[in-house]
Amino acid sequence: MLEIQNLTKRYGKFLAVNELNLHVGKGEIFGFVGPNGAGKTTTMRVVCGLLKATSGDVFVDGISAIKSPSSIKRKVGYVPDFFGVYDNLKVTEYMEFYGSLYGIEGSDMETITDGLLELVNLTDKKDFYVDTLSRGMKQRLCVARALIHDPELLVLDEPNSGLDPRARFEMKEVLKNLGSMGKTIIISSHILPELAEMCSSIGIMEKGRLIASGKVEEIMEKSFGSRPIHIKTFNDSQASEEEAHDNLNRLLMEQPNVKRVSFTEDEAVVTFTGSEEESAKLLKCLVSSGMLISDFYREKEDLESLFLEITGGDGNEEKEA
Amino acid sequence: MKKKKLKMNPILKKELVVSSRSIKMSMALMCVCGMLTLIVIAVLFSSGSFRYSYDYSSLIMLFPVLGIAECALISFMVPIITASSISGERERQTLDILLTTPISTFSIAMGKLNSAMAVVLMYVVTSIPFISIAFVLGGMKWTSLFGLILMYIYIGFYVGSVGVFCSSIVKKSIAATILTVVIGCSIIAGSFILYGISLSVDYHAQAEALLAAGKEASGISATGIPAILMFNPYAPVFDFFLRSLSSYSVYELVDRACNGKMNGFWEFIYKAWIPLSVLINVAISLLFVKCAALKISVTRNKKKRKVKG
Ligand SMILES: Nc1ncnc2c1ncn2[C@@H]1O[C@H](COP(=O)(O)OP(=O)(O)O)[C@@H](O)[C@H]1O
Ligand SMILES: [Mg+2]
Repeated sequence: MLEIQNLTKRYGKFLAVNELNLHVGKGEIFGFVGPNGAGKTTTMRVVCGLLKATSGDVFVDGISAIKSPSSIKRKVGYVPDFFGVYDNLKVTEYMEFYGSLYGIEGSDMETITDGLLELVNLTDKKDFYVDTLSRGMKQRLCVARALIHDPELLVLDEPNSGLDPRARFEMKEVLKNLGSMGKTIIISSHILPELAEMCSSIGIMEKGRLIASGKVEEIMEKSFGSRPIHIKTFNDSQASEEEAHDNLNRLLMEQPNVKRVSFTEDEAVVTFTGSEEESAKLLKCLVSSGMLISDFYREKEDLESLFLEITGGDGNEEKEA
Repeated sequence: MKKKKLKMNPILKKELVVSSRSIKMSMALMCVCGMLTLIVIAVLFSSGSFRYSYDYSSLIMLFPVLGIAECALISFMVPIITASSISGERERQTLDILLTTPISTFSIAMGKLNSAMAVVLMYVVTSIPFISIAFVLGGMKWTSLFGLILMYIYIGFYVGSVGVFCSSIVKKSIAATILTVVIGCSIIAGSFILYGISLSVDYHAQAEALLAAGKEASGISATGIPAILMFNPYAPVFDFFLRSLSSYSVYELVDRACNGKMNGFWEFIYKAWIPLSVLINVAISLLFVKCAALKISVTRNKKKRKVKG
């Protein structure tokens, strides 16, 4: 579906994207992760035909975005990272305007608008003025707008940035729906766990290069292996605290992926290298041994520490001279 | 054969909806009407229409006074509207989205220009009753009214295209507005300066030749020189008012200046002054629009994006 070959983009002397190669299959949801300035937006703008590449090529459905940018316009829908809306325009008129740019008019337009507003959960905002919508609603409206011509590839640049948790959740639902509709989607974000939840594969970008890419599980396992697990037990007072700790410690150390156990005031912190499935099995094992678990969670890791791990310590130097 | 429907430019259509809803628009319309009313009253007073003896024919003065006032109004208003058109899309960050749709950059530029024109037309329509006083009471020809409206449209198109062009090359709307005024004024001044230089060169050349023959220089010898002024966007407007108000036209003025030494070719040119200069300047405006379109298209898109993070 999307094929990026040796894509390089320079801004003057500054190398924003360096020899990027990427393949995204049909129906895949691909997540682009990387810190600010990694070159995600630049790559996406080239894919959408908004930016000329310095060298290399991008193929959408076999058509070169560099050589024939006009013919990929009907195949790609783009939601930019920052965008504004027009004043004094209602939601339906907003959709109609963009529809008319694709030559969609009349009753077709109405059907499409209704369907898309339903999809992004904005049906009740139909007659609102676009500039009165909340940030999250605008973002979802922009997704609906990008889908107006039924593109095969949807490119979303940081669709979650600046949204509150509720709006994030709603956006995620929309994207999941789209995924189940079989659209090929590329999403960028600088927060990995956020993407990991909805993407089938991800690529990690840094300083214009793709430093890791593949199935989410593989990358997550490789990079999140050492996230510690926090366990809080409920002490039913028959044993002393010391004994309870010893008990737990012994049980945990018997487990295959546990490297180290330490105790804080009220919880055990377990250095664990297993996958999500293995951590679930660990919990099951603890519970079946009669332990009373009141809290069990695995630390979420932010991208910064992931980068430190993958790039060996220099991952977060994003400011270029 | 494919059926071709006549479709309205989507951008024009949207802008019409938006501007018809803005309060600024109706306020401005009210201001214009107020201004025109004041002008009419001033002309009525100065022509003595409120005294015992009326001289209705002096009401004909309303025609050039209102006409020129409105031309000036259009010359200032249209650039203000168009100068923020494309830079406004940039500031609002909606241009990128437009560029991912199949609409051509030329259509974007044209849509912006035409929506400014639509606003102008609205002002023009509002002002017709005022101007009509000159026709009803002052005895002006009705064809002149039609011609005047065409002049408004023409001048709006020209200054609008300069505005769209500036809007495409400058990022900030305010800067674009200033640049539009600067470019507009330099085109006007430029045509006069070029004209003046050519005249003096011609005069000196003549003077030397005639001095040798013992005669004095008289009139323009190169009859093509006044044609330079055709590149002034207001050239057709000038001729239009001249023709409407007097029995003269640019042709007669040049003919006199040349002491009747005009040949057939130039005679044709000066007689067709209005259509020719309109044609030249409309071609120049289209060039401005085309340049704006090239400027916003991706190949030329060198705009610097903000560095984040
Ligand atoms: N128009 C531009 N001119 C110069 N440098 C740019 C331009 N656009 C982006 N950059 C630089 O290219 C790098 C990559 O930017 P970008 O693709 O926006 O990163 P991301 O989206 O991953 O945060 C950044 O360091 C940025 O400063
Ligand atoms: Mg970005």
